[in-house]
Amino acid sequence: MDIPAMRATFAKAAAHGDEAPLWFYSHLFLTHPETRELFPVSMAHQRDRLFAALGEVVARVDDLEGLVPVLQQLGRDHRKFGTVAAHYPAVGASLLATLAHFDPAWDDAVAASWTEAYELVAQVMVEAADADEGTPPWWDAEVVAHERRTLDVAVLRLVTEQPLEYAPGQSLSVETDLRPKLWRWYSPANAPRPDRTVELHVKARDGGPVSTALVRGLAVGDVVRLGPPVGGLRLDPDSDRDLLLVAGGTGLAPVKAIVDQVARQGPARRVDLYLGVRTEHDLYDEADLRRLEQEHRWLTVTRAVSHDKESGLEHGDVGEVVVRHGPWSSRDVYVAGNGPTVEDTVARLAASGLPADRVRTEVYAPSRPAPDVNGEGTR
Amino acid sequence: MSAHEQPADDGRRLSPADVDAVTFTQATMLHPGYVTTEVDDFLSVVAGELGRLTTENQQLQDRVEELQQRVDSAPAPVSPSDQAVGILMTAQQTADRYVAEAEEVSRQMTSTARTQYEEQLAAAREKAGAIIQAAQEAATRVVGPAPGAGGGGEHPDAELLQEQVAYLKAFGSAVRTQLRSYLEALIADVEHEWGRADPAGVPPSPTRIPAQRPDVRRQPVPARFEGNAAGGS
Repeated sequence: MDIPAMRATFAKAAAHGDEAPLWFYSHLFLTHPETRELFPVSMAHQRDRLFAALGEVVARVDDLEGLVPVLQQLGRDHRKFGTVAAHYPAVGASLLATLAHFDPAWDDAVAASWTEAYELVAQVMVEAADADEGTPPWWDAEVVAHERRTLDVAVLRLVTEQPLEYAPGQSLSVETDLRPKLWRWYSPANAPRPDRTVELHVKARDGGPVSTALVRGLAVGDVVRLGPPVGGLRLDPDSDRDLLLVAGGTGLAPVKAIVDQVARQGPARRVDLYLGVRTEHDLYDEADLRRLEQEHRWLTVTRAVSHDKESGLEHGDVGEVVVRHGPWSSRDVYVAGNGPTVEDTVARLAASGLPADRVRTEVYAPSRPAPDVNGEGTR
Repeated sequence: MSAHEQPADDGRRLSPADVDAVTFTQATMLHPGYVTTEVDDFLSVVAGELGRLTTENQQLQDRVEELQQRVDSAPAPVSPSDQAVGILMTAQQTADRYVAEAEEVSRQMTSTARTQYEEQLAAAREKAGAIIQAAQEAATRVVGPAPGAGGGGEHPDAELLQEQVAYLKAFGSAVRTQLRSYLEALIADVEHEWGRADPAGVPPSPTRIPAQRPDVRRQPVPARFEGNAAGGS
């Protein structure tokens, strides 16, 4: 494999921006029309993703040790899209055609390098997908409760057909028939349960195709698909320190799952949960939080409002309120929320002297910024 | 026609050289055959024509083989033309743009709706607050002066008591905060020291006394706002 030549080829295609992936997908759909149904109607975001993933592969192709886990995760994750081994040669052929199309210096030698590299990549992905054959590619889950708690927030309770194992704080991808082929990440707000219920907190983002459908369109009895769990805020199994949980908005879901885990599995520890919202009316899960506080003497929930002068609750951004109530020097800290909330909280905790290795964070960014009217993603 | 060397009938083709090489057996002296020169001339014409045909046949066969190879080596669908790719690219971009426009319209509409909702809600709450305040003031006016001297004496007492309660609440809150900070620091110190002596010896501490109890979870809430919240939610 001539890696510098491959990188040069890729750079030439990437320099054409959106046109290169657009060309690639058009070529793929013309040569293998059956692959079109694996993708959503709008391909704008898909194109960004493809070249981002390819770019990562090309950048790390000489570091197989680092690359292989990434590819394995990609391969496993692609099962839920309905990707099968038979699709890989089709994609490879269109990829080579695309690179050749955008590179005037394309020759047999570089074609051979790319063929070899692609076959390697495909092999790792297919093998990882095959190794996962024991678990379903996705889990069908029926909506058994759908509560609109505020104008924008709904709490969904789902029951999966098959048992779905995940660690509290992890995320699952969700797809609904209302928006086919669009997968978005959400964190269950509970630890896995024998009755296979999963609670999701969904905030409808303005113009967000999936979140608005989940909040406003979904009804009891509908079936959604859940993808395998990834990443997230996982409770450190080697620590029994008391916990400080900080959540902004629907970032409450993963920290509530952690509370659930402490309640079910221990070890006994004190848990202080700080929840930040704009106004008192955005406290969408009060009934359940009050119940948890009553059931568990070790749990203390503090609500903070940032834009509600009338409220009798703590005022200020949640990070500010947390630090005001410190010090938290003996705690493990878990923070979940949108980017600014997480950043602000982490910075304030660090300034108050908390060691950085005690803090774990998860940013719940909108999974996809809606593209602008020119069809371009706002990246 | 008889010939010394007939073209073999083992499938070998008759070549121009075969024709050239043909010799004819001499007929009897008494019964002479064709004029030899005429036969020879004709044979050379045949040889020329046959040569031309053989070459042409070979060329055609080569061409067939070449085409066959091309077909065989491209089992996948023939690569689409750049024009076809271009048409599909335009179609996809058009679809993408429609979806993006729909999402943009949806975004503008919902954010407008939300702004209006929040404005109306704020206005309604303000109005409700004003009404409650007016009602309270009216109640004080009605209740206050009515009982005469005795009632007038009670009023300042109640105010004084309320002030004292507020002070005690604030004092309690401050003490709790300080106590909790102290305990947190103490726990951290203890953990640190124990961990230094014997890292494995730091036990889970189920006996730790939670420093905060449910009744101090929230800051004191003025009754007026509690009433508001209950009524509003």
